[in-house]
Amino acid sequence: MTQEFRLKDEGLIDRSKKISFKFNGKKYFGYEGDTLASALIANGVHLVGRSFKYHRPRGFYGAGVDDPYALVQLIRNNETIPNIKATEQELFEGLEAKSVNCWPNVNFDIGGINNFLRIFLPAGFYYKTFMWPKSFWYRIYEPFIRKAAGFGVVTHEHDKERYEHKYEYCDLLVTGSGPSGLASAYSAAKNGAKVILAEDKPRFGGSLLTSEVTIGNQTGKEWADKIVTELKEMPNVVVKNRAQVFGYYDHNMLVMSERISEHMPKTEKFMPKQKLWYIRAKEVVISSGSIERPIVFGNNDTPGILLSSAAKEYMKVYGVLVGKKPLIFTNNDSAYETAIEFKKNGINPIVLDSRKELNSDLITEAKNLGIDIKFEHVVVNANGYRKVKSADIAKISEDKTNLGKIENIACDCICVSGFWTPTIHLASQSGGKTKFNKDIDAFIPSQSKQNETTVGSANGIFNLNDTLKNSFEAGYELSKKITSKENKLSVPAVVEKKNSKHDKFWCVPLPKGKKYKRFLDFQNDVAVSDIELALREGYRSIEHVKRYTTLGMATDQGKTSNLNGLQLVSNIENKVVPEVGHTTFRPPYTPVSIGAIVGREVGKHSKPTRKSPMHSWHEKNNAVFVDAGLWLRPRYYKKGNETLFDASKREAENVRKNVGVCDVTTLGKIDVKGPDAAEFLNRVYTNAWLKLPVGKARYGVMLREDGIVMDDGTTTRVSENHYHMTTTTAQAANVLSHLEYYLQIVWPELNVNVVSTTEQWAGAAIAGPKSRDLLQKLFPETDCSNEGLPFMGFIETKLFGVYARIFRISFSGELAYEVNVESDNGNFMWEKIIELGEEFKIQPYGTEALSTLRIEMGHVAGSELDGRTTPFDNSLEGLLSKKKDFIGKRSLQKEAFISPDREKIVGVVPLDKKTSIPEGSYIVRDANAKLPNPKLGHVSASCWSVEYNNPFSLAIIKDGKNMIGQKLFALSPLKNKSIPVEIVSSHYVDPKGERVRS
Amino acid sequence: MLFIKCPYCGIRSQNEFAYGGDATVKRPELNKEISDKEWDDFVYNRKSPRGKHLEFWHHISGCRQWFKVHRDTATHEIFKTLKPHEEL
Amino acid sequence: MQKYSVFNLIKNAFSSHENWEVAWKDPTPKKSYDVIIIGGGGHGLATAYYLAKEHNITNVAIIEKGWIGGGNVGRNTTIIRSNFMHDANGRFNEFSMDLWRNMSQELNFNVMFSPRGIINLAHSDAQMNAYARRGNSMRLNGIDAVLLNREQVKKLIPMADFSEDVRFPIFGGLMQPSAGTARHDAVAWGYARQADSMGVDIIQNCEVIGFDVVGGKIKGVRTSKGDIKANKIGLCVAGSTSILAEKLNMTLPIETHLLQACVSEPIKPLLDHVVTFGAGHFYCSQSDKGEMVMGGDLDGYNSYAQRGNLPTLQHVLTEGIAMFPFLSKLKMLRTWGGIMDMSMDGSPIIDKTHIEGLYLNCGWCYGGFKSTPASGWTFAHTIAQDKVHKLNADYSLNRFSKGYLLDEKGLGTKTWIS
Repeated sequence: MTQEFRLKDEGLIDRSKKISFKFNGKKYFGYEGDTLASALIANGVHLVGRSFKYHRPRGFYGAGVDDPYALVQLIRNNETIPNIKATEQELFEGLEAKSVNCWPNVNFDIGGINNFLRIFLPAGFYYKTFMWPKSFWYRIYEPFIRKAAGFGVVTHEHDKERYEHKYEYCDLLVTGSGPSGLASAYSAAKNGAKVILAEDKPRFGGSLLTSEVTIGNQTGKEWADKIVTELKEMPNVVVKNRAQVFGYYDHNMLVMSERISEHMPKTEKFMPKQKLWYIRAKEVVISSGSIERPIVFGNNDTPGILLSSAAKEYMKVYGVLVGKKPLIFTNNDSAYETAIEFKKNGINPIVLDSRKELNSDLITEAKNLGIDIKFEHVVVNANGYRKVKSADIAKISEDKTNLGKIENIACDCICVSGFWTPTIHLASQSGGKTKFNKDIDAFIPSQSKQNETTVGSANGIFNLNDTLKNSFEAGYELSKKITSKENKLSVPAVVEKKNSKHDKFWCVPLPKGKKYKRFLDFQNDVAVSDIELALREGYRSIEHVKRYTTLGMATDQGKTSNLNGLQLVSNIENKVVPEVGHTTFRPPYTPVSIGAIVGREVGKHSKPTRKSPMHSWHEKNNAVFVDAGLWLRPRYYKKGNETLFDASKREAENVRKNVGVCDVTTLGKIDVKGPDAAEFLNRVYTNAWLKLPVGKARYGVMLREDGIVMDDGTTTRVSENHYHMTTTTAQAANVLSHLEYYLQIVWPELNVNVVSTTEQWAGAAIAGPKSRDLLQKLFPETDCSNEGLPFMGFIETKLFGVYARIFRISFSGELAYEVNVESDNGNFMWEKIIELGEEFKIQPYGTEALSTLRIEMGHVAGSELDGRTTPFDNSLEGLLSKKKDFIGKRSLQKEAFISPDREKIVGVVPLDKKTSIPEGSYIVRDANAKLPNPKLGHVSASCWSVEYNNPFSLAIIKDGKNMIGQKLFALSPLKNKSIPVEIVSSHYVDPKGERVRS
Repeated sequence: MLFIKCPYCGIRSQNEFAYGGDATVKRPELNKEISDKEWDDFVYNRKSPRGKHLEFWHHISGCRQWFKVHRDTATHEIFKTLKPHEEL
Repeated sequence: MQKYSVFNLIKNAFSSHENWEVAWKDPTPKKSYDVIIIGGGGHGLATAYYLAKEHNITNVAIIEKGWIGGGNVGRNTTIIRSNFMHDANGRFNEFSMDLWRNMSQELNFNVMFSPRGIINLAHSDAQMNAYARRGNSMRLNGIDAVLLNREQVKKLIPMADFSEDVRFPIFGGLMQPSAGTARHDAVAWGYARQADSMGVDIIQNCEVIGFDVVGGKIKGVRTSKGDIKANKIGLCVAGSTSILAEKLNMTLPIETHLLQACVSEPIKPLLDHVVTFGAGHFYCSQSDKGEMVMGGDLDGYNSYAQRGNLPTLQHVLTEGIAMFPFLSKLKMLRTWGGIMDMSMDGSPIIDKTHIEGLYLNCGWCYGGFKSTPASGWTFAHTIAQDKVHKLNADYSLNRFSKGYLLDEKGLGTKTWIS
């Protein structure tokens, strides 16, 4: 197919590289350097999709980020990607794209019926209806509405692309490479500043690519090319194209997304699709330019109607004509550049200028070229459905309220210019204030909040001479502050055309008797009448208007619609625009890929994985792992076809009968050192610590200040001023911060230091009646007898030449020891234990057996110490010292904590001695009581007691101790279980604790 | 992302730090008889001002020191950072 | 008041919608009222509505600093649920659910309550047990709850990560089928319209500057629009509670923090349920517009800035992709922040205060939206009867000093850790 609308040689595309692509199944050609939009327009395709609400045909309105609609579904490298903006997507060989939000196709869309029903579907119609019958909203109406909404489609599969992050620091970040950006970056770089220059588009130069100006003795584009080339060669400058600075965060942190490979058919191996830059800049120059505003008129959303600057860009950058019978509708001079460009390319445009006849450089040039100009004329209405065919035009009175006789003229495109809106998003995101500039009818940055300076048209300056002057100055001054250098460049001379004043006119009145839809927001179908309705109904604040009508809430975030919306509200409310105020600008400036924000932390790497030194042994020995926070711990070691239940029962039984070994490396370990360490522990733990001798361990409980148990564990006095504290796996990090808080802030007078040693030590718990025999084998030189190493004793020794610590502590309730060696020796230790343990029938046991053993002994753990229970609740009152103060003690007097009604830990056994009680069941008196059924408490942990060979659970229930012996029910409605139970002591096995001391 | 000057290490990005709450709240001395109100003011009650706020931060992925930050809760401007026992 | 219905919509279409009345008026404040509600958010508007409807107290003013519905009722992720473990929270919010179910009809304003079900994913057996505890508590309180295994979850939300390349595999989940979403703005507007029609004055752009307290009794407020008298005043200003409390010399067990949320660009319907991630703080639903509505975590330090920081969002979205890998292919469109009253146990306060005639409604943390109707209903009761209703009896201010905490998460007073 020929590219009927492609100009012969104009443009910056590479005509030697022809590219084939598909749109809606049809094959087309374009050139390297095209966007999907420019290539489609070159082929005469303007209908790109359907609008959100009325499903009206939509074409290209802009030529870049400002386009309010052109979203397509892109197929790239066999992946389908929703909501790609055709005006931004660069063309690559084999590109495939489809229209979205239409069925069966974009030419004939069933949803288009909404357009005919539109008088019944004004702003907020859904708030007023779909209420009857009641159940229909969720069942009938809403699914229908949901189906009609949304644009692209996404599949369930993982994203195959890779995204990277980069952190960067610079003196000056310049956001945009138009004349103001280039000038500031250049001037600062030449003054020694470390500069990052970011340009969203593939090409540098911004407006210089399309304007007819001279800088020095070069054209604007030549000058831009020269500056960019020079900047790229400077070691202190980073120049990035395809890079959008989308967010201005606190303390001069800006974030930029760089598109690395989206313009290529596929991402090369190990290349990212996008890179996200976190840039901490000492100073920021916002040179983000401005966006042309539409003028609002009847059916101004018809495909073929677009911004006049976009039409010019399509011609000058892409060598593409948006039409051959153009109508240009303007209230200012800049559209004349578009008209002149058409004329130069052999096309005769008609210009409608809302202003009274006037002269300026541009207007004169246009007149001299013989361009047909109709002053005081406006477009009243566009005709055509899928593409504009003609326009109703009329003369307009000076006060812009009365239209003259309506005339119809044929056209195939309408290029609209309602003057320029500075892009102040970044300046506003920084927290800076904005002010309304009456000269340009738009907001510009006012007071800065952070270190940012806005230059050029982003600051409302629309002539090149001032722009360059200010920007060179800004670059110099800002860099001087940082580098203290004074290398000032002279500003090149500029030749440009002088513009006359624009007309404060933005909306064409309706002719009598006509009810044309005049659109403000093209994507969300928000028309003038919708805003009028919102205000009529009392939604008068601009935020109410926005929310009620959805103005500016589409994916373009109102880049072309917000200001016109504000104008309309201020007109109707009889206020000036600044009184109405604008809605808040928040990042991102343009939608940003979620994948890019997340970066590499996906899949298995979404969180770190912590493994003990013995991990590979566990793996080789059929361990089934369980996540314990970030750690992976063996849950059980599977033999043959064993289930979790079988295996954990076997492992636990072996501990009770012989000896088992469990990897306890994950326990938190903290070294507490210093002359005041004992006093510190005495304040941190609820029990007494001053008299613990060297070589002894003690169990302790620590509270939060609110009296709730924070953690428990044993702490051992290794030497006079050195204690080894252990914490639970889950609380290790919190406990360390907690200790540091008290040492550094509350009790700085204590001479104590703490440091985490969790990863220094590998730990193995050896438990069971034969554990001493095994220990003696492991440490033949050491006296492992009950006298030599008594309960809660500690010794330092050698394990076959390797330094080792032995703690005689027990979590299982059996005779047990914990051996620690340095992490590097962990595997050696483990293999020795297994090797020498063989004769004692040693088996490794996992966390499930560990739980079983502790539950039937009545030891509390995470499921009881759940951040809600006091020491009393857990029957730990024996550990509360009456003689001294400690963290959280004052809270223990609270009425609720000492109330007899308070829940307390007990044991629970099913009456049938068979039915396991699911964890999370509730204990109640009456299984069949009417709901809400009063709860006595809940079952916190359950196991199969290997000691008694029947189920056993721990529960925390009201008035627990007095409930012992009572017959109650455990209910788990979720599992449809109602189990008659008896309340027993929580210490089900060895209540006197004889085994651990044996 | 905040840029916080640790009094010991210098200026670092927020992700090296953990927040630690209101630094004007003082823990009552140990063993001192105090009213329920005084205790609750320490444990629970907070002024939570809009504007200047003296707060604790912890350089958790750095030197592990706690320190004070004087920050505006509405704008996040940081006026000053101090060691725990320095006063404004 | 004009009735909203499809018939009226059609009728008005033929007069170009020019005959719709204002949804609420814009009155100048009177010199005095029976009750003043400070805060024109969801809870304040609901309180005024229930004062008028349930207690026949219509000489009421709502005073709003900005525009109604501009606070958290317009800045949330629209989730409505009653899946709580504590009895007080469960029963209160189940009562709220009952009010939600009839709200569109009662207010004659389509709030689009959509019981699409909420699924809390679990990633370990321990978490399944914790959810069982919560779910059983719900069931015993008469609230619907279902425990799902991995296969059942997969059937409902196949787009979640069931692949091998996953850090925390899905074990199952807890589902409350009757939970869902609603159109947040509509709730504020619906209550406002009905309250207005019953005589309540909605006074916008009116800032409270101070209070008149005489002899331990509240007498009125000083505002930017002049002094207004009332012997009963209700504070309903989540996010700004501490600021007003300071004017009353009160220090409360709350801190102010920022919670961020974001939406993706709209895509065709994919996700029917509200889903929460179990190995982090992330939740997601798809709006009727097609946007994926995502939220998760506090910025982590006291904040009154209605602007958030990117590290939090990055963290939240990382968990988002861990749950729903497809999110990686979407773009984040819009982000916003809401200012939360984070209470010291994670549950709200609806109570009288030590000042006679001054009532407090605050501490909603990040869960205020779902409670809007019950909060308004019980607060109206508390104000009208000068005593708490049994539904909000546990939401007392002195529960902290007495120790009757309602800590759903067991995190204690570090409010910034979510």
